[in-house]
Amino acid sequence: MKKTIIPIGPYHPLQEEPEFFMLTVEGETVVDVDVQLGYNHRGIEKLSELKTFDQATFVIERICGICSTSHPFAYTQAVEDIGGVEVPMRAKYIRTIIAEGERIHSHMLWLGLAGHFLGYNTVYMWVWKLREEILDVMEIISGNRNNYAMFKPGGVRRDINPEDIPLVMKKIDKIVPTLKMLYKAVRDDPVIHARTKKIGILTKEESINFSALGPTSRASGVARDVRKDTEYGAYLEMDWDMIVTHNGDVFDKVVVRILEMLESIKIIKYCLLHLPDGEIDVKIKNIPPGEGIGTHEAPRGETFHYVRSDGSNSPVRHKVRAPTFMNLPTYKATIKGEKIADASIILAAIDPCYCCTERMSIRNTKGERLFDGKELIRLSQAKTQKVKQKLGVKESSLEKLVQGKL
Amino acid sequence: MKRKQVLQDLTTRFKQDILEVFDKSKTRVYIEIRPEAIIPIARYIFKDLDARFNIASGIDTRKFIEILYHFTFEELALLISLRVKLDRAKPAIDSLTPVSEAFNWIEREMHELLGIQFKGHPGLKRLLLSDKWPKGVYPLRCDYKEWDKTAIRDRGVK
Amino acid sequence: MKLPKIRELIEAIKALIVGPYTTKFPKKPHTPYKSFRGQPLFNEEYCVGCLACEQVCPAEAIDHKDIKTGKTAKRIIYHYTDTCIFCGECEAACIAEHKGIKLSNEWDLAFFDRSKAFETIERELVLCEICGSIIAAKKHILWIVEKIGELSFSNPTLYQTRLKELGLIDDNLVASIKDNARDDRIKILCAHCRRQTTLTTKNSRTGG
Repeated sequence: MKKTIIPIGPYHPLQEEPEFFMLTVEGETVVDVDVQLGYNHRGIEKLSELKTFDQATFVIERICGICSTSHPFAYTQAVEDIGGVEVPMRAKYIRTIIAEGERIHSHMLWLGLAGHFLGYNTVYMWVWKLREEILDVMEIISGNRNNYAMFKPGGVRRDINPEDIPLVMKKIDKIVPTLKMLYKAVRDDPVIHARTKKIGILTKEESINFSALGPTSRASGVARDVRKDTEYGAYLEMDWDMIVTHNGDVFDKVVVRILEMLESIKIIKYCLLHLPDGEIDVKIKNIPPGEGIGTHEAPRGETFHYVRSDGSNSPVRHKVRAPTFMNLPTYKATIKGEKIADASIILAAIDPCYCCTERMSIRNTKGERLFDGKELIRLSQAKTQKVKQKLGVKESSLEKLVQGKL
Repeated sequence: MKRKQVLQDLTTRFKQDILEVFDKSKTRVYIEIRPEAIIPIARYIFKDLDARFNIASGIDTRKFIEILYHFTFEELALLISLRVKLDRAKPAIDSLTPVSEAFNWIEREMHELLGIQFKGHPGLKRLLLSDKWPKGVYPLRCDYKEWDKTAIRDRGVK
Repeated sequence: MKLPKIRELIEAIKALIVGPYTTKFPKKPHTPYKSFRGQPLFNEEYCVGCLACEQVCPAEAIDHKDIKTGKTAKRIIYHYTDTCIFCGECEAACIAEHKGIKLSNEWDLAFFDRSKAFETIERELVLCEICGSIIAAKKHILWIVEKIGELSFSNPTLYQTRLKELGLIDDNLVASIKDNARDDRIKILCAHCRRQTTLTTKNSRTGG
């Protein structure tokens, strides 16, 4: 079994896939799973000790490419918690706008991938086309489609220009009807029901025992959301709902994420229309010795940062905990007893960072390698075709034409 | 239970094991306890008080090795951190994995990055570091020295 | 099962009429929004050569080299494009009203040779008249003089550089006895030599 170490930098196209999840199967049913991590370990906790508090924000942003705001948000709150710094109101609103915009784009990315794993490539293309609108919004506000560089301990770095707000509102309004259509399509489609209902169930007790977070646990009936439980940002200024369902299967996780996107749009619109005036940052003179903790609800769950300082310019210890760290062990509980063809959609339902789902392979109990990541996706798509045939759903010629065109 | 009741309940029930309570602010409390009493206290907070286990963070101060276990009480918006100080030469503590599966991975990570021994853990193998990493070299310790002579430490361009 | 189809068919027909969403790059150029953070560019008129951008850069993408040739010296500041993360910290830290280095809208920066991927700017340096070490960039000293106005007449280095720039004084004569005495004080000096000449009580003319 060849293991490869991935350095800081782009992936090499000729590299062999390192084994990541090792499922043990008997026939068609999965019996056991062994998870191996560490291919993306970059030593960021040690790197933070070499940079100053302000410079470390840029390193922290690049922990994840999709949830790029959640880590600086939690880190700056941890640094402000050490000395008890109070951030001005306008900065809180701007932080909330960026965080919710990122939630929308991350859930859209996930929705497209889930569609791809199930064989609905039209959903994949349409959702990613829609995602361009929200990425344009982020570019207008912050200057980049990803890695926004807006957060700093004490406030935000750039202000929102009032002349940009009408264009931003127009782009957000374009997203809403298509999202509603996608929600109704998912709710009414019998093929999606057959593929995702009662598959990969995570019960409420298991979710509490594993301390699962985010949509993974909210789909099992555990009503936990950092935005409602803690006072931070501008979340308590307006009315919005926490989405909780009770079955814990893959279908519920899809529904939770789509409805969360609609709530995020409500929050962004309120914040843009009611931006208070004032300063965007507070000058921090120095960080006293002590320790601080900051949390934020990322698209995948709760991010947790712990910072300890000894009065100098850099942190002495910085502990980072991404939400997927607590969610991935739940894969052990959800996959046992399921078929191989469902393995990729059950893993995708936890929403790990995308690079993880590529590295999955299956062995039988003798240790021989049967399938790898691409094969599993193909198996999953083939199962959808079989289900469609069984239910008598015919693909119309117009859909085939559209798929070919896009 | 309200916040004051929770703190009073903990301090009276485990009076002989709690060394210090630091009430930092409305949402943050740091409690220092004896290392031998981690299992009954953690089990009480996790199972009976229905808190959520957040994460554990280890740090090597120059005098001792410290572990902080963070628990969140959602309804009270309170985060209680249990502090445990271990001897730097041979750090060892009882493992909390038999209490709940949530402690499994973080104990594996602290074992390979700081060298802490967890007694009773079902499978203490490497989680993040590669197999090529030498044994006995713990990156997060303050006396860590660079061992890889082939690593590139500058821009990489001649 | 007909109703769900109508919703999706309407979207499909709209997509057919509008056409593909992808742009025609590179046949048609792409201009990003005006707030896009692109390539940082040095500004010849405003940059003072103070190296504040080098100190704050989180990725260590700005570097400098001081080159002395005889009695003159110059400073070359490099900005490496392949290490830059386009965060905008250099622009926020620039002391010349954030105009010495500015993030433009350029985003098409691909290159083949990493050793040629940098931009430079050169600034003239001011040298100490006794020991010859580097004090600072000349434009930086002139910037300080303009900022503090008449208070700059308390420091010989500051006002002498300014007056020299205006062409009102000539080069100072070197003392005939080189012992860094009291009347060497009215010269352009580095910090070390300035302290030495201030604290000594000797007078180089009379020797007492």
